[in-house]
Amino acid sequence: MISQYSGISPKGDLILLKRLGDKMAGKSFLHINSTKAGGGVAEILHRMMPILEELGIQARWEVIEGDEQFFDITKKIHNALQGNREIITKKMWQHHFDINKKNLEAIRLDDVDAVLIHDPQPAPLITFKKSGKWIWRCHIDVSNPMKEVCDHLFQYCGKYDAAIFSVARFTKSMGIDEYIIPPSIDPMSDKNRELTKEEINETAEKLNLPQDRPIILQVSRFDKFKDPTGVIEAYRMVKRYNDCVLVLAGSPATDDPEGAAVLALVKEFARSDPDIHILLLPPFSDKDINALQRMSTIVLQKSLKEGFGLTVAEAMWKGKPVIGGAVGGIPLQIIHGVTGFLVHSIEGAAFRIRQFLNNPEMAKRMGEKGKDHIRQYFLITRQIRDYLSIWYALESGEKGTSGLRI
Amino acid sequence: MECVTILKATGKKARNIHELRTLIALISDESLFHHTYQYFLKGHILEYTNDFAHWVAESLEERALSERLSNVDPFAFKDIPSLRQGLLEEIDDFMEQFPEPRDALPGDEFYFNETVTIIFPVGIQAKNLAEFLLAIRYVDPACVYYHFYEARIRHGNDDFSAWIEEVLGNPELARSIRAIDPFMHNIEGIRMHIVDAVENNVRHAMEVITP
Repeated sequence: MISQYSGISPKGDLILLKRLGDKMAGKSFLHINSTKAGGGVAEILHRMMPILEELGIQARWEVIEGDEQFFDITKKIHNALQGNREIITKKMWQHHFDINKKNLEAIRLDDVDAVLIHDPQPAPLITFKKSGKWIWRCHIDVSNPMKEVCDHLFQYCGKYDAAIFSVARFTKSMGIDEYIIPPSIDPMSDKNRELTKEEINETAEKLNLPQDRPIILQVSRFDKFKDPTGVIEAYRMVKRYNDCVLVLAGSPATDDPEGAAVLALVKEFARSDPDIHILLLPPFSDKDINALQRMSTIVLQKSLKEGFGLTVAEAMWKGKPVIGGAVGGIPLQIIHGVTGFLVHSIEGAAFRIRQFLNNPEMAKRMGEKGKDHIRQYFLITRQIRDYLSIWYALESGEKGTSGLRI
Repeated sequence: MECVTILKATGKKARNIHELRTLIALISDESLFHHTYQYFLKGHILEYTNDFAHWVAESLEERALSERLSNVDPFAFKDIPSLRQGLLEEIDDFMEQFPEPRDALPGDEFYFNETVTIIFPVGIQAKNLAEFLLAIRYVDPACVYYHFYEARIRHGNDDFSAWIEEVLGNPELARSIRAIDPFMHNIEGIRMHIVDAVENNVRHAMEVITP
């Protein structure tokens, strides 16, 4: 499996993975989250487990189970950590803890060498730590949380050996070591692998998309923070000067009650323009999304608020010129003027689209640089390398600031 | 050899130049090292030479201070405390002239980080100039960083020119490599200039008629 990445991932990453694998061979590495399917965490864990196994590590992935009430509570915790006002009673916190405790009937925690707990749902499991290094992996922005909720949850998180966040500005001090490891994409997955011309054409025909004019694409949920109407406004400004087609593609999110309303608003805003294609793709449309990104001329992610925004990395991996809102993790992926453009307004987005459309050489050059940037910093092999490096640093007790030699 | 770094948050952030100054004075040596020397390990914008200059220009739009901070050469200082003093002097001097700096937008503050650095061999060896030329074209950027930038902290100069002079006995080529300005290029630019220097040296050697 890991040999598939030769010639794709940086050679140094593969060498270091092998060396770390040799150090950790035979040890056990347990990941725990709250869903087996859907979402970026599950997606990357599915791909990560066989690679860890191949490195000689006994990798295990467990999913905690809970009732409807548990997931209602954890959704509230999730929202409160991101700054929304939520009421979480003592009884609710107790239920959160009890469900975690109940999961111990099915999840073995003894004899583990390292445990990575993903997000707040299974965070209380630290109470039952028996062995190994425990790391809390937080995938969301907790920099401006609702204080009471944060304080309660951090009673658990503060007991971990370390925490990992995706972006420095997402962190909140908990009194333990906090590392920054950005998420990643898998170049071998259906969403990112190379496609044949036939496969791309098949998607274009299936979705009734013209390929005779430049395509401007945004792939995202129909969410106001992804600014789909702002994207349409930018497209209209461009259309006065350059003929092009706009594609807004997204999947329905079952956990987002506002999604349908935003979609209706976007459709109304598009006013039956035949060159605006609003696509509601079914879940698991990875290959079609891949094809859409590959057939596009420019890819936008004009978010007003964002988590990490890995759709940017996906588009850059396909060598596409990208334009993104300067929010969340997008500025880590787009180096303004080098691997794409960061924008702060609808006008800015329109201006940069026109720049790319009128300077195909520049678009090509930035696309190539973008692809190389993703290769260096945002592939799955780098993320596994970082996880193992932190585990190794914690086990060796070295801080590694003056250089940890392996 | 090659090195990779993993960021570690310090929990400290600055919203304006006053806070940046206060924290530069207090922050760990490791954090200062990361934001200056290790800047070259990133796919950076050539306009700046450290994270402070980058942030001051892009987030505070204080171009004059950014230019001054970009002109601070971390390799010209004997140690981190001296570098710290050098940075503080530039900021103090600027603040005397412009005492009311603006705040960065929320979310755009300067976050002080440290790193865990992991050093490991990549298993590539060059025994002569031909092998060196082949290797330098294809090694990872992090390997070029380790031998061209990081080496300056270890022994004041880059590893490549030291090896070419001491082992291959070619001081002329070593001088050409030392003449490459570390601030004016990103890692790919450095790689290209080293390749050019080696090729020019070989070409010149082939053209010279020895009696």
